[in-house]
Amino acid sequence: MEQRIYLFGLNHKTADVEIREKYALSGFNPREQALINSQGPVGEALILSTCNRVEVLCVGNHDREEVQTRVLATWSNYCGQSQDVLRDHIYVHEGQNAVHHLFSVASSLDSMVLGEPQILGQLKDAYRKAVKEKSAGVIVNRLLHKSFSAAKRIRTETAVSSSAVSISYAAVELAKKIFGELQDQSAMLIGAGEMAELAAMHLLNSGLKTIMVANRTPERARELADKFQGESMCMEKMLDNLHRVDIVISSTGAQSTIINASQIKNILRQRRHRPMFFIDIAVPRDIDPDVNSLDSVYLYDIDDLREVVEENLAGRREEAARAMDIVKEEADKFEQWLQSLDLSPTIVDMLNHGESIARKELKKSLRSLGPDVDEQTRAAMEQLSQSLVKKLYHAPIVFLKRRSREEGSAEKFIDLARRFFNLDDENIPPDTHQNRKRN
Amino acid sequence: MISFRILDFFIALLYLTGALSFLLGLIYSRKKTQDWAVIVTAAGFGLHTLDLVLKYALGLGQVLTHNQFYISLLAWCFLLCYFFVWWKLKLKFLSITAAPLALLIFTGSLAISPTTLPVPGLLQGLWFSLHIGSLFMSMALLAMAFGAGISYLYLDRKIKTKTKLSSVSKDIPSLQSFDKANHIAVIAGFPLYTVGVLSGFIWAAFTWKTIFTWDPKEIITMVIWFVFAWLFHRRISGAWRGKRTAQMAIIIFILSLASFVGINFFTETHHSLRP
Repeated sequence: MEQRIYLFGLNHKTADVEIREKYALSGFNPREQALINSQGPVGEALILSTCNRVEVLCVGNHDREEVQTRVLATWSNYCGQSQDVLRDHIYVHEGQNAVHHLFSVASSLDSMVLGEPQILGQLKDAYRKAVKEKSAGVIVNRLLHKSFSAAKRIRTETAVSSSAVSISYAAVELAKKIFGELQDQSAMLIGAGEMAELAAMHLLNSGLKTIMVANRTPERARELADKFQGESMCMEKMLDNLHRVDIVISSTGAQSTIINASQIKNILRQRRHRPMFFIDIAVPRDIDPDVNSLDSVYLYDIDDLREVVEENLAGRREEAARAMDIVKEEADKFEQWLQSLDLSPTIVDMLNHGESIARKELKKSLRSLGPDVDEQTRAAMEQLSQSLVKKLYHAPIVFLKRRSREEGSAEKFIDLARRFFNLDDENIPPDTHQNRKRN
Repeated sequence: MISFRILDFFIALLYLTGALSFLLGLIYSRKKTQDWAVIVTAAGFGLHTLDLVLKYALGLGQVLTHNQFYISLLAWCFLLCYFFVWWKLKLKFLSITAAPLALLIFTGSLAISPTTLPVPGLLQGLWFSLHIGSLFMSMALLAMAFGAGISYLYLDRKIKTKTKLSSVSKDIPSLQSFDKANHIAVIAGFPLYTVGVLSGFIWAAFTWKTIFTWDPKEIITMVIWFVFAWLFHRRISGAWRGKRTAQMAIIIFILSLASFVGINFFTETHHSLRP
C-alpha cells in the first residue's frame, strides 16, 4: 500500500478546554518516537500541541483503522486517559484533506482568532522537535516546508493577518497612526485594571520609551511601575504630570469623569500642542468625551476600540475566503508531488526532462550549423541526442528500481532524484552557481 | 529640436506612469507597485535633469529668457524637494501629490508656445539664482506641505471620527510624519521665500530705480509673504502644529499656485510668462 497522510486532532471546536488539557502532549519530547518506534503502521510523525489544539500528523502505509488504533493507544497511554473519550472528540483527516487541514492551521485559518500569527511559530517548534527526534521523514519534511511557504504566501498575498483584533493591539495600532514609531513616546497608566495593564504591555513591546503609573493605592502603583520599569505616583499628582506623556490609558473605578476638556486645554499649551492619545477603558468613563473635540487630541473609549476590533475581524473573514483558495492551490500542488513519489511517474519525468534538454540543445546546434545542413546529418544528430539521454539516465533509473524494492527507502531516493534533476521545477536562487562561475 | 521633443515625451510618460502606478499601489495595498512607482518617477526626474542641463548647455544661457524653461524648472524643483523628503523622512507617501503636480506643471510647460522673456542682461545671474531659485524652491516646499497637509487632515478626521480606515488609509504614514514634513516646509520655505522677495526688490532697485512698482505680482507676493510669516511665527513659537499648520500650508500653496497661474499668465505684469 502507498504511503498515506493521516491527521488526528482535538481543537477548540471539537473538545472543550478540560478535555484538551487532559490530552495535551506538550510534556513529552520523545512522543513522536514512541509512535514510530516499533515496526508499526506509522512511518513518520509530528505532534503539535498548543492550548487550543493537539494534533498528531503521521504517515503510514497501512489502512486508516490500523494507524488510528496505534496513534490513539499511544496518545491515551501517555496521558493516562481513556481511549474512548479521545475517540469521541477527535477529528480525523486523511490524504488530501489532511494536507488541506494542516495548511489551514499553519495559515491560522483554523484558529480561534482568525489570522493570529502565533500558531505558525508553534508549528515550527513542533517540526523542529520532530526533526530532532528523527520522526520527520521525506513526506513530513516536505509537507511542513510547504505548509510554512503556504502560510507565508497567504500572509503576503492576503490581508488575513494585517489588522489588530484585540483591544490592546487596536490601541497600539492607533497610537502608531498618530505618532509613527513609539520610541520617543511615553505613556501614563491611570488606575491598574487588567486590560489597561495589557495595553501598556503591548505599547512597551512596541518600543514605548517610558511609562508612568498613577493609582489610588500607592503600593499597587509602585508594584506596576516596577513591573514596567517606570515611574509611580499618587492620583493627586496625575494632572501635574500629564503634560509629560503622549498616551494615557485610563481604567479607574471612579463613578464620574476625572479628566475634562478644560484641563487638557491647559496641558496642551504646556506641551506646545504636541498630540495626545487617550484610551479610556473604564466603565463608567474616566475621560469627558469633549476632550476629543480638541485639536491634536484623540480619545477612544472601550466601545470605540471594540468597534475597531469588530471591523478588523470582519475584514479578516472576507480575506479568509481568498486565503482558502491559496490553501487549496498549495494542497493540490503537494498532492501532485506526493503522487510523483511512485517510481513510474518519476522515471517518465526524468526521461521527459532529459529529452526536453536534448531537444533544446539540438535546436541550438542545428542553428549554428546554418540552413544548409543535409537531412542525413540532421537525422544523425537527432539519433545522437536521443541515445545520449537514454544512456545517461539508464544508471539512475536502474538504481531507483533496485532501491524501490527495498523496504522504506523508496521515497527517500525518489525524492532525492526529483530534487537532483529538479523535476518539480522549483525556483533555484539566481546566485546559486555564482561561486562556480567565478572559479 | 525633435530630439528634445522625444526627451520631453519620455519625461512626461515616466511621470504619468509613476503617478498612476503609485495611486494603484495605494488602492490595492501593493508595496512593490508603490516602490516601482517611486523608481519610475526617479527615472523621469533623472531624464528631466538631463533635459534642463542640455537645454541650458546647448542654448548657451539663452534658455534663461524662455518661459517654458522656467515652468519646467518649477516642476523639477517639486520633485527635487519630494526626493529630499523621501530620503530624510522616509515619506514615500507624498508621491501621491508630488508626481501628479510635477506631471501637471511639466506638461503645462510643453503645452504653452515658447516665448522669450524680456530679461535684462544686468544682474541676470543673481536674478536667476536668488530670485527664481529661492522662490521656486520655496514653492516646491509649499507643494510638499500641501500634500502633507491634505493627508494630515484626511487621517486626522478619520481618527477623530473613528471611521473605518480604507486600504489607502492603512498604508498612510502617521500624523506625526506629516506634521514633520510641514515643519520642514515652513521652517525652510519661509526664509527662502523671503530671500526670493528681497532679491526681487534689489533687482528692481537696480533695473527700475524703485523697490516697489505696485505690479499685481508684487502685491499678491507681499500678501502671501505676510500670511507665510504669520504661519512661520506660529510654528516656531509652538503655538500651532498639526491641523492648523496643515490648513494654513494648504491655503498658502493654493494662493501661490493661483498667483503663478493667474497673475503670470493672465494679467498685465512685468512678471508675465504669457506666450
